[in-house]
Amino acid sequence: MSKKRKISLSEDELVRALRNREKIAIEALYDMYSSSLYGVISRIITDTATAEDLLQETFLKIWNSFSGYDAGKGRLFTWMVNIARNLAIDKIRSKDFKNQNKNQDLENNVTFIDERKNTVYNPELLGVKELVETLKPEQKAIIELVYFKGYTHVEAADELGVPLGTIKTRLRMAIMLLRRHFN
Amino acid sequence: MRIWKVEDIKAYIESGILELYVLGDVSPEEKLQVEAMAAKHPAIKAELDEIERSMEAYALENAVEPAEHLRDRILNSLVTNLADDRTFDKTPEEKVAKVATMERPNGGNFYKYAFAACLTLLLVSVAALVSTYNKLQDSNTQIASLRSSNSQFAKVANFTEDTLEVLRGASFKTLTLRGTPKSPQSQLIVAWSPKKKQVWIDMRSMKMAANDQAHQYQLWALVGGKPVSLGVFDKTADSTNMQKMAPTAYADAFAVTLEPRGGSVSPTMDQMMVIGKF
Repeated sequence: MSKKRKISLSEDELVRALRNREKIAIEALYDMYSSSLYGVISRIITDTATAEDLLQETFLKIWNSFSGYDAGKGRLFTWMVNIARNLAIDKIRSKDFKNQNKNQDLENNVTFIDERKNTVYNPELLGVKELVETLKPEQKAIIELVYFKGYTHVEAADELGVPLGTIKTRLRMAIMLLRRHFN
Repeated sequence: MRIWKVEDIKAYIESGILELYVLGDVSPEEKLQVEAMAAKHPAIKAELDEIERSMEAYALENAVEPAEHLRDRILNSLVTNLADDRTFDKTPEEKVAKVATMERPNGGNFYKYAFAACLTLLLVSVAALVSTYNKLQDSNTQIASLRSSNSQFAKVANFTEDTLEVLRGASFKTLTLRGTPKSPQSQLIVAWSPKKKQVWIDMRSMKMAANDQAHQYQLWALVGGKPVSLGVFDKTADSTNMQKMAPTAYADAFAVTLEPRGGSVSPTMDQMMVIGKF
């Protein structure tokens, strides 16, 4: 598939098309969000075959449970990425997956992701990439843990050995930095 | 409901709960609370939107392009799912609906009509039975009345036969009893067959005064000078037939006396109405 043929719709149009079960919505959905969702999934699940299966599962669940999405309560991507994260976290915590993949620690994962050749570097976001790199290590760690590793903030506090309030503050500060840049 | 001041809303935003909400890391109660707060306070809604957009941008910045072959695989599985929706969800529903609308009413109608037919048949049968029973009763009544009149006719025929025998039979002698001085106008014809020991009187030709309820006429046969009772009879307006009296083989003379009802052992001589001798 060449990138020229990729379909892009506004979020409103896409939501409407998905509600009407239009075939074009499936393609638009995939072209617009597959790389973002796969980025999250492949950070949680490093095994390519499993991550690909999970991406397929994610799209199936989005498609089948789309009536559960309420545009009034949040953005489409937030809803979808939580589906992807939950599926991936369920998978990584399942017994058979744990047996297959002996514990890979956080540092190894992050390094692995950064080394992947097919990581998309959006030119407009290159600055952000640099910004994220300049996040304080503890801010980056909390984002990685909660957003990409599927930790709850309670588990993250445990893992990092800091109080819950500190975790919340760090997470908020990290996201504030991101926001400041995008605005 | 708690009133939220601007400071409170600011504190709520700064608590970090909204970030956790966007990351899906809140309890169901907290989730409902955040949604309620966002619906009520535009500032919170705007803050949420900002967080979502930044996390979305962050995800895009960390996007990983999946392998190209995955696109066809996933799109095909979704299209198959869409086709499944159409072939297995919608069409069967329509078919089921068609079956429901076509077969059920038909089945229902069949039993409805069958029941109605049975009921009608039952009613007609009962009516026919009642009618037949009534006719049978009528016929039985008619048969009984015919039998009764038949036996009456038989009696009449026998009687007529007997009375004709009186006239035809050579053994019968007729004797006209004449009025005594007590009732000179009286007259009675007696037919007697010594051979058959039969005695008849002719009521039609009888000329005698009608008797009252306390009295009856009694016929006597005089045998060797002694009176022998041959029975009692009444003179009424419709006395028209021959009447058979008690049998006797011997008689010198016949006489009729008026006696108390039921008859007497011996004749009351001063009440003798008619007498006749051979």
